[in-house]
Amino acid sequence: MGNLLQLFIRNGGFVTFVLVEVCCFYIVVRFNADQNAIFSHTSTLMGGNLMERRQVVRDYFGLTQRVDSLTRENALLMEDLANARVLQMPYRDTFYRVLYDTISTVDSIRHKSVRPEYRFIAARVISNSISSVNNWITLNRGSNDGVTSNMAVVSGKGIVGIVRHVSPHFSIAMSVLHRQARLSASLPKHENTFGTLMWEGGDPDVMVLHQIPKYKTVQVGEPVQTSGISAMFPKGISVGVVCETPTQDPEYPNFIQMKVKLSQELATIGDVYIVQNLFKSEIDSLNLKVKDEQ
Amino acid sequence: MNSNAFFSNLWRFLGLFAAQALFLKQVSLALGSYFNILLYPLFILFLPLQLATPYVVLLGFLIGMSVDFVYGTPGVHASAGAFSGYARSLIFFTFAPKGGYSGKELIFAPAFFGWQIFLQVAALFFVAHLFWYFSVDAFTFVYVGAITLKTLAAWVLTMLFVVLYTALFHPNN
Repeated sequence: MGNLLQLFIRNGGFVTFVLVEVCCFYIVVRFNADQNAIFSHTSTLMGGNLMERRQVVRDYFGLTQRVDSLTRENALLMEDLANARVLQMPYRDTFYRVLYDTISTVDSIRHKSVRPEYRFIAARVISNSISSVNNWITLNRGSNDGVTSNMAVVSGKGIVGIVRHVSPHFSIAMSVLHRQARLSASLPKHENTFGTLMWEGGDPDVMVLHQIPKYKTVQVGEPVQTSGISAMFPKGISVGVVCETPTQDPEYPNFIQMKVKLSQELATIGDVYIVQNLFKSEIDSLNLKVKDEQ
Repeated sequence: MNSNAFFSNLWRFLGLFAAQALFLKQVSLALGSYFNILLYPLFILFLPLQLATPYVVLLGFLIGMSVDFVYGTPGVHASAGAFSGYARSLIFFTFAPKGGYSGKELIFAPAFFGWQIFLQVAALFFVAHLFWYFSVDAFTFVYVGAITLKTLAAWVLTMLFVVLYTALFHPNN
């Protein structure tokens, strides 16, 4: 209190001046029409500007939350898209009518009920490598989030990898840049002719699509996407584009191979989606029966 | 402040207020907005040298508010008066003689400091007062050119009246 008093005595003139000026400012604005109009206009402008700045700051601090919510929303949309692609696969019935809903069922009141095949789990890449011969990606989702091994990992731009190991909170995915990674990819411009996509090392942006019949005339720049034949990747996820003229496949003389530039640069992945095929175990058990019979 | 000084300042307050309200306002109205004569800040300038700044600020506010009632501009002259009260202490500090004020100088008038120093101090004091006054009056620095012009025009006219008043009344307490 004593210090405060000392401060006032020492700077009393200035303090009084400031206080009086604040009073004057109020009186001027309150009782003078011209000044009041200017003040109202200025304060509206400044207030708006201030609100805008405050919003920018708040938006910045809420960015992580928004990204999370957008990623979740994106996962749902991708889920819908992947399921829609499956559900709208056209086929012809015995009367040669084209139908677009192969796995929807008809309920007791003859309403079609759709059966989703995929579920997307939003995840974030924690670590990633692209320079090794066999590359791995660590994700921040694990068995507690419903992740199991052999689930596909995709991003908004394209394919990323396949989950191999899972812990309660994390999982490790085999990157598509792995010598053992084999994916089924198709050429949508050639009635979805499919082949096997693999990485042969070297350029991390380029994979090779094998086993395309050699009578197919594939042009450079043609899109390549997942075929949906494997139980892991949904159909229609972008893989990339053909980036070199196809050549004869040295292992299979009746087939051609071509380099594919990946649409998703593996060096820049951040937010990804782990794809759960809801019928994978069912499909796998069926495949197992076939295997037994072979 | 002794009673002599008190009454001197009281009469000066009333005299300058009356001159401002009854005569100088009419002159300004007749000449136009660029020809203001604001003589009342002389009251603030001639307040006792030893009077503490907070009192000077408050008295500046008081005479300014009185003038505002006549001019119909509540707060505008009061703000300028309070500002001049504070600026006065800074100007006096700047123009303090070597070794500081002796205590014999009762007010900052030619009777104690001579005309040369007095005119320098008064010139600076009135420039500060007038610039503040026209700034608050405009309430925006968009018109900074007009504010400066008005300040200069009013300063020339006001300084004539300051010299006239000081020469006529020889204030010394």
